[in-house]
This record gives sequence, structure tokens and C-alpha cells, in this order.
Amino acid sequence: MNMQTSVTGTPSQIEINGVSFNADPGQRPILVDGCDTIPKLFETRCKTLGVRTAHREKDMGIWKSYSWSDYWDHAKWIGLGLLSLGLKRGEVISILSEDRREWLYTDMGVQGAGGIASGVYTTDSAAQLAYLVNDSDSRFLFVENDEQLDKYLEIADQVPGLAKVIIYERDGLHDLEHDACLFLDELYDLGRAYEAQHPGSFEAEIAKSRPEDTALLIYTSGTTGMPKGAMLGHENVLASMESGARALEVSREDEQLCFLPLCHILERNVSVYFPLGAASTVNFAESPETVFDNMQEVSPATFFAVPRVWEKIYSRVLVLAQEATPLGRWAFHQAIKAGAARADYVMTGREAPSGVSARYAFWDFAVLRNLRRMLGMDKMRRGGTGAAPISPELLKWYWSIGVPLIEGYGMTENAGISTINTLEKNSPGTVGRPVPGVQLRISEEGEIQTLGLNNFQGYWRNNEKTAETFTADGWLRTGDVGRVDENGDLTITGRIKDIIITAGGKNITPAEIESRLKFSHYIADAVIIGDRRKYLTCLIMIDQENVEKFAQDRKIPFSDFASLCAAPEVVEQIRQEVEAVNKDFARVEQIKDFRLINVLLTAEDDELTATMKLKRSFVEKKHKALIEEMY
Amino acid sequence: MMGEALLEINNLESFYGPIMAIRGVSLKVDKGQIVAVLGANGAGKSTLLKTISGIMDPEKGEVLFDGQPIQGHEPHKIVEQGIVHVPEGREVFPLLTVDENLSLGAYTRGDRAEIERDREMVFDYFPILAERRGQEAGTLSGGQQQMLAIGRGLMLRPKIMLLDEPSLGLSPLLVQEIFAILRRLNSEEHVTMMLVEQNARIALELADIGYVMEIGRIVMDGSADRLMESEDIKSFYLGHQEEGQRGEKRWKRKKTWR
Repeated sequence: MNMQTSVTGTPSQIEINGVSFNADPGQRPILVDGCDTIPKLFETRCKTLGVRTAHREKDMGIWKSYSWSDYWDHAKWIGLGLLSLGLKRGEVISILSEDRREWLYTDMGVQGAGGIASGVYTTDSAAQLAYLVNDSDSRFLFVENDEQLDKYLEIADQVPGLAKVIIYERDGLHDLEHDACLFLDELYDLGRAYEAQHPGSFEAEIAKSRPEDTALLIYTSGTTGMPKGAMLGHENVLASMESGARALEVSREDEQLCFLPLCHILERNVSVYFPLGAASTVNFAESPETVFDNMQEVSPATFFAVPRVWEKIYSRVLVLAQEATPLGRWAFHQAIKAGAARADYVMTGREAPSGVSARYAFWDFAVLRNLRRMLGMDKMRRGGTGAAPISPELLKWYWSIGVPLIEGYGMTENAGISTINTLEKNSPGTVGRPVPGVQLRISEEGEIQTLGLNNFQGYWRNNEKTAETFTADGWLRTGDVGRVDENGDLTITGRIKDIIITAGGKNITPAEIESRLKFSHYIADAVIIGDRRKYLTCLIMIDQENVEKFAQDRKIPFSDFASLCAAPEVVEQIRQEVEAVNKDFARVEQIKDFRLINVLLTAEDDELTATMKLKRSFVEKKHKALIEEMY
Repeated sequence: MMGEALLEINNLESFYGPIMAIRGVSLKVDKGQIVAVLGANGAGKSTLLKTISGIMDPEKGEVLFDGQPIQGHEPHKIVEQGIVHVPEGREVFPLLTVDENLSLGAYTRGDRAEIERDREMVFDYFPILAERRGQEAGTLSGGQQQMLAIGRGLMLRPKIMLLDEPSLGLSPLLVQEIFAILRRLNSEEHVTMMLVEQNARIALELADIGYVMEIGRIVMDGSADRLMESEDIKSFYLGHQEEGQRGEKRWKRKKTWR
């Protein structure tokens, strides 16, 4: 590498969207606008941007703006408040809340004070909260409201290490008297008082931060065993920002919508750290239920979501289209056709012939433009998807309606980003090429391994697992199996640990079959069974909305979810979906039988991750009876 | 639930203007059964009854009565088949006497002697109506009006009664009284009933089978006993409060409908 170093030791810089980055990605020290840690960058941003809007949040139905100065003040008060309560550098605090600006204030306040922020899913149970607080040695816990507070109260005697619990919302808690609890505004007061006594102390704490310090702890959902806390250092996150600035660029004028859990590295990157780098504006969705309405109101410039969200939007449009007048339906169909013809070219970065472009231009004007406005996608420059496989047909559909959607790949352990497609160079069906600064290789066993400054520091208090996760030469073992094609694009085929060895001794990667099943609109998720069994079978979670619509359109009577799953026509439809997938696989890889999971699972259930993916081990345990029926 | 279906609804969809009030409902009422449909305001319960009795036309789906499709038929045709709708809020004719109201209930019938016998039967079940037979219905109390509305329905010798919130606006004691009479009507006169209710406890005590509707869909169904045991029904419809960590609890558990 021909790293040019100036006299002072600062790598040579280039400017991307008005922000200065190292010209040569992947080199130490990683700098974003001259800062080598998150809190330093946070300070720079807040002090230069001042009254500019950093966040918007809906309050009693009205969008309100909050500036970078607000961001700074509140984060500072939280940081200093915690210092006054005895927080020491390197200690962990946990946050149990839905997405809201206070979440970010806490993240920045804690990091500024030298602490480490760890998010807890609001769908986690009290017992899970106890485990996470104890495993992370959390000294402080932030809870959103009375509902989340009750989880703490249930386990208060099991978490001796916790010094204080800070509550964001007072509603319904006026009578609360508990020695360990205080409200956020009380913490702000403590912070203000501390600042009055020790002026400039927050800035002084920020100046102490070093790139190698741990910045955040992210618990990985862990499809097997208990969750592990992945430690990400400031350098890891800055590396991710450095790559992101090149592959997922965001500009200062961009509006973004924050709605996936901030405990997840994906949302944390795209809603906290990337906007911090780019100085863009983040809007918080009111609740997971109102995302689509909020989307329309915000009309974000970039939008990163998991495939399930993209599927839901697609289903909604299809339902609306079917309820349109015959003329409307016809126009919609024509528009999609014209869009698809153009997508064949543009989604792989080629220019469409003039005839195709002209036809698209007409239908775009007549139909698609309005559709995008209705979806809140009229200003969308780029949509992104990751964290689970997405069907290539669905990708193409979005390109057809004029929404460029690209797929990427990353994991907590490499700070969320390792490969990505770009608008200029997109290979649908693959997760793209390594981002600038990250190297990738496939091991002899077929495992994807990455190397870069984004690779995490290790698991919190778990050296054994950390050692297992890195190779002898320091590469990250992703645990995913995949292949790289002649263009350098990566395709993921499954998880190493999930490899099934049938009774006949054949190795099978279930994820490959499962993702194919999931591409069906009727199948939300599937788990292949067959380890040490004679043949493969499958448990299927149907997509409620689409299957209900299927039943309704075909006059198949059903009442509740269980009766929907029991309807012979529904089972038959799923059988056809399974058989269609079977055709693409060798005989030993074919699914001989399947069962539908006839309870409607929610994120609170053990079987589902917070991003609504089935967890193999729990599903196998909980639905043992269904599985045994098939053998 | 393998009895003989008197009323069968398949994949029904109904709109209030542009709003889809029923989004695909299927259910079945067997001969002699009492079926309760539970749900909060706006769940689509009343729309469901109105669609059955022909006051509203469904967009999609079918309503089978004795195996014959009746969806979209005129309300008076449906009444002639023996389907009686006792609407929400009683809706008796306020300026007519109790007797005249009852006579109107039998307007489709010509058999005088039989009508008079049925009138006596109604008075038998609701003695207070006999006492007030000459009084204008508008001057009756709410409970008496409800009794009159049910009595008027009975005058048709219905094969099935559709009861829309019979407990609405009545004192707990009156509710008990009216539901006890409904039970007797079911066991003695073999009147099949489908009632929609917000008062889940009283409805499930009366009914054999229950369905729970939320925003136009059925989210749960089963025997009334099973529904009574469901955690969701207990906390959302029966008002059971789980013991919170503090003395009080503002938030509700998430519904799972299992």
C-alpha cells in the first residue's frame, strides 16, 4: 500500500460529500473529519452544526425538530450525570427502549464519559434482561417507560451490580418510590450540576477517548446458546463509517428514517454513526406499527431495511392494486411491465435502449411516480437490504417501480458491513464486493473470512469464544459459507454450524434451501430438519397477510390463524411451493414432508429473533412433536 | 363443532364506503346453538350482522342459510326466511304501544290464532311487557325496550335471532335477567342465536361457541369454555388484571390469541 503520510503523521485526506476521510481506506489511524473516536467526532459535529436539525420525532402527532446543540447538551448531561453517580471509564450501561432520540443521547453521553453502551431489545423478557445486565456487568440501566421498568422490578434482586436505573418517561409512574430508580430529567439535573462544578469536564473526558477503547457492546441474538456481547471499538465503527462513506454514501441534506431496533448493528450504523459522519437528519418512526405512514411523511433519501420490510411494502402495493378499478389495474400492470423491461438494464448498471426508456418515462409519469409518492419513496436515491436473504424477483420489482434497491452483507462482528452492491455496480442475487478497506477470502471449508479494521475486538469476558472466532492469522471467521464468482461478487449459501449431515452421510447447507423457500410470498420463514435423519423435512412459518389474502381470494373459509394453517388448500399451495423449490435440488436435498407452524409467533417468542427470523435450535425443541410426525 | 350448520358465512368482506369493515370472515352457527362474536368497538361485529340480515351488501363472500346463499338479498326476503335481527340500541317504534310493536313483529304472518299464542308466549317470558301492553314503547325503560325488541323478534318465530349488543346500556342486574331469558328461549323454544357483544363475560357464559373479531378479522375461535380460559381473553375482555410489579399497571401484555 502506498500510504502517503504527512509530516504530522496524518494520512492524506480526500473529501466525500463534504466530509474528510483517509484517501487510502483501511489504514490506521482512521480519521473522519480529523477525529479518531466517535465522541470526538460527535463533539466536532455538534459544535459546528449547532442549531441545524439533527433529529425529528413526532410528539402528539406533530413532527418536532431537535438540533445538534440539543443532541450535545442532553448527551453531555447524561454523561456527566452518570459520572456524578460514579460511572468509571470502561464500564457498561444497558439501554432498554424503543428507538427515540434519548436512545442516541444516552449512547453518545455514555461514550463521551468513557462508558460502553449496550442495547437490550424491548421484546426481551425480564429473565433475558437479567442475563444481559449481569453478563455485561452493567452499572446503569436506562429503561423507556413503566412497561420496561416492570421487567427490571421483577429481577431487581438478581442484578446486584446495577447501581441505578434511569427511566425516560414519567407517565404512570408518579407514585414510584424506589431507591435505585430515577427519571431522566433528574439525571439531566445531576449532569447540569456536575458541569457547574467541573466546567469543561465532558470535553475533557471526550479528549481521553482512544481509537482502541471499546465503544459499544452488541449482543448477538445467538441462534444457539446464550447471547454473546460483541465488543466494537471506536476504530471498528470509524472503519465502518469509512467504508460506508464510499459504498453507501449519505449527504448532509439527506433525510433518514430510524425504525429497526437500535440494539442491532444495522440500524445503529445507518441511524446513528453514518448520520454522525454525514451530518444528515434522522427521523424516528413513532412505533413499529406506523413505519409505513411515517415513511410517507418523511420520504427518506436512503432507506436500509431487512427483507421482511421490503416484502411487506410489496404485499401492500399488490393488495392496493387488486382493489383498484379494472382500468387502474391494467395501468398498474403495464407500468410494472415497462419498469421491468427497463430494470433488466439499469439494475445491472447498463443503459436501457431508448424505446424501453421512453415507455418507462411514460408509465413513470402516469403511474409509478404516484406509487412512489404514496409509499414515501419519491425521494429515495437508494434502498438497501441486508441481514437476511432477499429474493431476486423482489429486488427487480423495486427497480421496476423506480426504487433502486441493493443488497449488502455484514455482521455485528465486522461492525455491520463487509460487502455491498452499489448503484453503479450491482449484481442482483449476490451480496456484492468487499467494501473499501475490507479484504475477503473463502477458506478451504468454504467459510467466508474477512480482514479489516472493522473486525471487532472480541466477545465481552469470553476469550474462548473470541479465540474461536478468529483464525490463526487474524481473520474473522464469519461462520457463513459462500462463494466468490469471477466478477468478485460474493454469494452466501448458509451457516457452517447449520450444516446437516443426513443419515446417509450427505452434507447439506439448509440455508440455501430455506432462502429459496422464503422467496415464496406465502412463506415467511422455514427451518429444514434432517440432521442424522433418513431424509429432509421442513417446518414452515407462513406469511399471514399473503396467505390470508390467498385464502380470501379463493373463497377458502378460515377463522383464526390455526384454521388458516389447517385449510387443505393452503397446505396444498405450500406443498406446491415446496415442490417447486425441490426441483432445483438434488434428490438427497429435497424436502420429503413439511408441517406448518400453526401458532402466530411474535418477537416475544423464543423461536423468533428480534428481526423475526426463526431460531433453529428453539424451533426444533418447541415443535418436536410436529417434527416427529414426519419421521 | 360437527353439528348441522344453520348459518354459514364464508370469506365475507363488507365495506363502509371506502373502509373495509369486514376483511374476510368465515364462521358457522349450528342449529340450536348460541354463538357469540366478541370484539371491541369498530371490530366489525355490527357490520357482520347487518350483512347477514341484508341491510348491507357484501363485497365478496357468501352467506348460506340452510345451505342456500342469501347474501345480497333484500332484507324483507331474509326476514321471511326466518332470520331476525334485533338491532343495537333496541330501535322499537316509540309512538306505538307494546302490543302494536309486537304485532308489527309478526307482519309477515297471517295465522291469527298462532300469532296470539306467540304473543302470550312473549308475555310469559317477559311479564312486564304484559303489564305495559297498552303503553307507548317510547315511555318504557331501556331494559323493557330491550325486552320488547327481543319479544318483537320472537313474534316472527325465527329460525335464528341475530342479537346486536343486547346488554348495551343496561344495569348489570337487568343484563343478568335478559340473558337468563335468552338462555331459556334457547333451551325451551330451541331458538338458534348469534349475538355480538362487548360484554365478553356474560356472552361467553351464555354461548356455546365464541369468535373474537379484531379490525374486521377473526383472530380466535373455540368453545366458550376454552375462550374463557385464554389469557388474552382474560386480560383484554374479562378485565383480569395481572399482578404488576408495582401496585398498578398501565400497559397491557401483547395479544397472541392462542
